[in-house]
Amino acid sequence: MNSTNSKLTYSYYPGCSLHASGKEYDISTRGLFKALKIGLKEVPDWLCCGATPAHNVDELLSLSLCAKNLSLADEVKGDLAVACAACFSRLKTTQHRLADNPEKRKQVEHAIAGSVPEKKVKHLLEILAKDYGLEQLQEAVQKPLSGLKVACYYGCLLTRPPEVPELDCTEAPTIMERVIGATGAETVAWSHRLECCGANFTLSRPGVVLKLSGDILASAKAAGADCLMVACPLCHGNLDIRQKEIEEATGTRYNMPVFYMTQLLALAAGVPAAKLGFDSMMVSPLPLLKEKNLL
Amino acid sequence: MSRIGVFVCHCGENISRTVDVERVAREAGALSGVAFATDYKYMCSDPGQNLLKKAVAEHNLDGIVVAACSPRMHEKTFRKAAQSAGLNPFLCEMANIREHCSWVHEDREEATAKASEIVAMLVERVKKDKKLAPITVPITKRSLVIGGGIAGIQAALDIADAGHQVVLVEREPSIGGHMAQLSETFPTLDCSQCIMTPKMVDVANHPNITLHTYSEIENVDGYIGNFQITIKKKARSVDMAKCTGCGICMAKCPQKKIPNAFDRNMGMRPAIYVPFPQAVPNTPVIDRENCTWFKTGKCGVCQKVCGPGAVDYTQEDELIVEKVGAIVVATGFELYDITEKPKGSPIKGYGEFGHGKIPDVIDGMTFERLASASGPTGGKILRPSDGKEPKQVVFIQCVGSRAREKGISYCSKICCMYTAKHTMLYKHKVHDGQAYVFFMDARTPGKGYDEFWRRAVEEEEAGYIRGMVSRLYQKGDKVVVMGSDISVGVQVEIEADLVVLATAVQPRQGADTLAQKLGISYDKYNFYSEAHAKLRPVECATAGIYLAGACQGPKDIPDTVSQASAAAAKVMTLFSRDELEREPIVAKVNEKNCVACFYCKKVCPYGAVEEKEIRDRNGNLIRVVAYVNPGVCGGCGTCQATCPSKSVELDGYTDEQIVAMIEAL
Repeated sequence: MNSTNSKLTYSYYPGCSLHASGKEYDISTRGLFKALKIGLKEVPDWLCCGATPAHNVDELLSLSLCAKNLSLADEVKGDLAVACAACFSRLKTTQHRLADNPEKRKQVEHAIAGSVPEKKVKHLLEILAKDYGLEQLQEAVQKPLSGLKVACYYGCLLTRPPEVPELDCTEAPTIMERVIGATGAETVAWSHRLECCGANFTLSRPGVVLKLSGDILASAKAAGADCLMVACPLCHGNLDIRQKEIEEATGTRYNMPVFYMTQLLALAAGVPAAKLGFDSMMVSPLPLLKEKNLL
Repeated sequence: MSRIGVFVCHCGENISRTVDVERVAREAGALSGVAFATDYKYMCSDPGQNLLKKAVAEHNLDGIVVAACSPRMHEKTFRKAAQSAGLNPFLCEMANIREHCSWVHEDREEATAKASEIVAMLVERVKKDKKLAPITVPITKRSLVIGGGIAGIQAALDIADAGHQVVLVEREPSIGGHMAQLSETFPTLDCSQCIMTPKMVDVANHPNITLHTYSEIENVDGYIGNFQITIKKKARSVDMAKCTGCGICMAKCPQKKIPNAFDRNMGMRPAIYVPFPQAVPNTPVIDRENCTWFKTGKCGVCQKVCGPGAVDYTQEDELIVEKVGAIVVATGFELYDITEKPKGSPIKGYGEFGHGKIPDVIDGMTFERLASASGPTGGKILRPSDGKEPKQVVFIQCVGSRAREKGISYCSKICCMYTAKHTMLYKHKVHDGQAYVFFMDARTPGKGYDEFWRRAVEEEEAGYIRGMVSRLYQKGDKVVVMGSDISVGVQVEIEADLVVLATAVQPRQGADTLAQKLGISYDKYNFYSEAHAKLRPVECATAGIYLAGACQGPKDIPDTVSQASAAAAKVMTLFSRDELEREPIVAKVNEKNCVACFYCKKVCPYGAVEEKEIRDRNGNLIRVVAYVNPGVCGGCGTCQATCPSKSVELDGYTDEQIVAMIEAL
């Protein structure tokens, strides 16, 4: 690895999910960044971003939570790396909302008793595709994922609303395909990569989730995918944890492992499989990975 | 000592409601140089004008101020009245006490005082008015029509039938435009070719029409009555005089795999081709980009097989100059392209519709070709991917139109009707098929239009679903349309065999470049702007240039033809006289003072300022000064305001007059 990599260093905001239900996203992110020699330092004492409930209840609260996190993140060097799609969305939304609204900014700064810093918020995909670069990513691959057919699933928050995340084209993004494509994996063209998984209805109206997430699994399978790749713990929950229920409801067996993007990338970058949390996935990826000679 | 008459108008109650007109007349009467002042209820009426005429004679007036509405409204009326009373019409001025006073103020006292001051200003100006004589410009009684679609064809035929020469310039190898591509036309379902091709032949055979196809406008010089046009005739590689149109060259051309643009790339054509069998002129062109001879220097089959020896590989682009007195612009439209997001397009793209990646998602014009008897399928509705007959077709309206968030806010006007027509044509050809239409509202305000739309809905049973479509995706050999039905508030998913998008109507690519050459204005979408939306809808702000058809905004065939005939009528009006009279309110340059900085030339919106060389009697150049061409000058006064050496003045608005007006305040 050349010396320029050591210059890439980020502050890291894992968010609640990555310390709980999405632990494998956290450990694979750390493993991947270590393998790529990209610096990553967790923001001390960070708090919840408010996720999806806060902004439905109180806008000031949701903006202040993110503003506080931004000010905490400012104590750590580097742009702020975010893995969870919801945290990413909330942090970016906050910056977008405050950018041309001095009145709101004043309220928020009063609430957090400090100023909101101009901290660049970047999703891991952006860091890998743009800062690190696809060519270098390709060079870092030790175990090519060739033969693995991946359906990249974007969900709602990575590219929407159009003016906020600025990650990629809202309606026809390709950034996930480009990043995982660098590992030699094959990406499939499929119809439901931007459809909603049912999101928070997983608890209040699971029927909705079974239908929406079921459609996603069905379309990925129809396109010939071996597995799904996601960048959001909530999508992961709906597609992986609920998969069995979906199978029972629809009478179709999918057996479709749902990977966090960093799990696959870290595997390709040579991180031992045992350190990627494969055992905590509901649909075990082990038979698939064995079949493809990736273990 | 001047003898000015002041006439204060009540304008019914428009002015007298807020302004004490009698007092204004009284105060005007007391101004120095005013010999007569009065007020009247309607100055513009017949008795009002007679009052003015009588006063001129009785009081021997040598200047007139009419205090009434805006000069835009009635300046001409009162100048005419003054003229018939024996006064030079340009010694009559209007004091605007309506738009500038009564309409915009509430306080009667203040408004009256202001009206009196406005009158006083104009009195001072009239005192310094000079007698002006109208300028005459000779008229070349030939016209140029740009664009050979139905608009250009109609305008050209009308002008030519009136006995005037017409030069018709068309970019494509054949005239006919989009109308030649259509299948049947709404609201009568008559075949487009049947009503179009005879007109095309008329154009070609008309003794008064010179047709330049495969040609473009290179340059435009001059002004109303006296334009000089440079036309680039692109090399056709076929001698039009020799070619008999037998078609053997096309039959023998070994290169046959070039997508046929006329058929929306659904069929193939050879490298030497006519766009469609009924083309006018029926002379082929060689598409040099795809011709083996021009690419590799080998082949030459068409030249060998051509009996009359018409094929000429050495032909070059040719520049010809035409002198005309009037120009009709009829460059038409194109549809927003779904295959990719065009560069520089104001539309943000339809990635969610697959952007042309799904073969069975087509646009309206492609459907026209499928439905047309002369189209690639001989009029059978067959889908592009596998040639099967689609049993469920979804039509989506307003793709790009009326979508501010996508970049275009205007309505494309023709799609409601042509989509209704498409559903009918489809049903007439596929009896067991079902058509669905996603729409926002049905906009069918034309003669027989709503009846036509109802027929599609009620008799042909097209399933109209009010709602938008969010996404299209391929599922096996179907295209899934995900949309909503807002009338019942549910999500809708239809598995279609074919999807037809009614995409936005846009001006032709390069419309802005042509407008710059012509010196006409255009809006942010590149549609050309008319001089006045209601009262001068076919004229440009630039004199002598007229608009016809969809280059001005989305239009259907009846509207286009009406406007084309209207534009032709305007041209004929212009040609009805030998000389053109223009208002003498034009700028003049004081050549002694002019320092030749040519700031006036830079700012002149009409391009009226030229550089004039002053030479001594031996022909030696002494100096260069600015010269305002009175035939082109629009009388805006921008040059006068800009000139640093105070060398340009607008007649009727001289510095002396403006200062006198200010001093009267």
